[in-house]
Amino acid sequence: MTEFTILWIALPLFIGFSIPLLPSAARLLTLGIPLFSVAYATALFSRPAPLDLRLLDSFGVALWADQLSAWFILTNALVTAAVLIYSWDGPKTKFFYTQLLVLHGSVNATFICADLISLYVALEVVGMTTFLLIAYPRTDRTLWVALRYLFISNVAMLFYLVGAVLVYRTHQSFAFEGLRGAPAEAPALILMALLTKGGIFVSGLWLPATNTAAESQISAMMSGAVEKAGVFPLLRFALVLEEFEPIVQAFGVATAVLGVTYALAATDAKRVLACSTLSQLGWLLVAPAVAGFYALAHGLAKAALFLTVGQLPQRDLATLRQQPMPTALWLPLTLGGLSISGAPLLAGFGAKTLTLEALGPWQGMAMNGAAVGTAAVYAKLISLPHRGGAQTSSWPQVPLGLGLALGLLLGGAIAANVAYLDAYSGAKLIKALVLIGAGWLVYALLRRPAALELPAGPEAFEHLLGGMGVMLIVLFWMVWSWSIT
Amino acid sequence: MLHACVYATILLGFFGIIFKENLVMKIIAMDVMSTGVIALFVLVAARTGVRTPIVAGLVEEGYADPVPQAVILTAIVIGFSIQALMLVGVMKLARDNPTLETSAIEEEYRR
Repeated sequence: MTEFTILWIALPLFIGFSIPLLPSAARLLTLGIPLFSVAYATALFSRPAPLDLRLLDSFGVALWADQLSAWFILTNALVTAAVLIYSWDGPKTKFFYTQLLVLHGSVNATFICADLISLYVALEVVGMTTFLLIAYPRTDRTLWVALRYLFISNVAMLFYLVGAVLVYRTHQSFAFEGLRGAPAEAPALILMALLTKGGIFVSGLWLPATNTAAESQISAMMSGAVEKAGVFPLLRFALVLEEFEPIVQAFGVATAVLGVTYALAATDAKRVLACSTLSQLGWLLVAPAVAGFYALAHGLAKAALFLTVGQLPQRDLATLRQQPMPTALWLPLTLGGLSISGAPLLAGFGAKTLTLEALGPWQGMAMNGAAVGTAAVYAKLISLPHRGGAQTSSWPQVPLGLGLALGLLLGGAIAANVAYLDAYSGAKLIKALVLIGAGWLVYALLRRPAALELPAGPEAFEHLLGGMGVMLIVLFWMVWSWSIT
Repeated sequence: MLHACVYATILLGFFGIIFKENLVMKIIAMDVMSTGVIALFVLVAARTGVRTPIVAGLVEEGYADPVPQAVILTAIVIGFSIQALMLVGVMKLARDNPTLETSAIEEEYRR
């Protein structure tokens, strides 16, 4: 298994950088890597004990792979494969495939590394390749959004480094366990950086604008996999060091509610999806032990939604209400939306039930509210008019690549049901249906008065940077008063 | 004392990133901040001594800790490549936004 792990980590980078030498085989080579990752995730699932690796000696790289990693790796693999199939016939150059593979590999690395410095390197590579992928169309707008993303993520990572060296000073080691017993500012700095990287609560407000401006396959990749790279270490901390669990959960609840509020206010289809991602990342954090399945369910559905919305000629919801879209596009939109709302027969149902069961009373209440909000958000998309039969001339034909990618993602979302079949009991089914019904009712009521306006201020570049300073103080207080007693 | 200077550098860099209007100035401020972080690593490494840890030398005590130095070397390379990427991006952006003022650019490309 050790050799398999090392091969699996190194291969995406190796193949990625070989692509410029073999441009004609670029797509086939690229497709091999997600398949390899699926094989690795399967191998991890079948292992009873987690894999604990220490490369070199005591100061070397520490790796830790368990079932939680396997879920995230599987998500990353399926989303990458779908993005690749979607762009198969597109005009992408070999450069795009190289970046996609490097991104896939570095996101995978964050899911198994167990020391602060490997995590730092992996996250920085994720940041750089995401920058290149967002900026790929080379319009001024994508360039600015990409620069903004890289800037924010790099400043966050500088704070992270300060935290890491403080941990080292206390324990002479960069292992995750070192956060325990380090002075309170070290966990505060590291947590703040990860919140920013992962797109959590106010530190994650860079996310809506970035996902809205990026190309749809890049948004799919970001929502499906890249942002989970920042969230995963937070889950790991919460599981390894139980004193951080309340902090992580509190941020989870706050993010879920904040994201849903933003999504309800949004009027652009892609922005609705981006804000919903913000809220779903909160869902991952509230129940770290069962987050793996939730990540898979969300990644599959959200990637499908982004790819579908990318096919619409315009994304303004008011316009879309006027002109019916083809049923071939409406159907994946509905399936994806229902899965994230937690409708039975789709993976989102099992994931949401599992998460809600794992919560304490006050978090349960807030998260049920967020679930109603999520259903209301997706009611916005599901209620859009559609027309079947002959294609109307104003709409482009649905390309084959999109159909295959959606088949993979949504087929995966249905197949993933087997992971938690216990969810299909009377009370849980009724609860899920009530939550969705309540959400649709909220939507029906909210639709009449003009949509609520949210200030754009917190999403401005300077405010995001300044927000890091504020979050640092808040986190310092939380770490100080909640976990060091 | 040295610690205070290092932390002051990091903070000044951070405030520069927030308060400078011009995008190039922001990048320079980020460089100042990362210089502070590098200095902090070097300072932590020097906690056990300042002598270079080379096996051939026969002095018994006072070696600097090589681990933070090795780690920060990686971080320097990463920081430098990110800066290079950003400056290329800024060069492209400057063609249509010659003043490179963040608030103006942000206004233009919002939504």
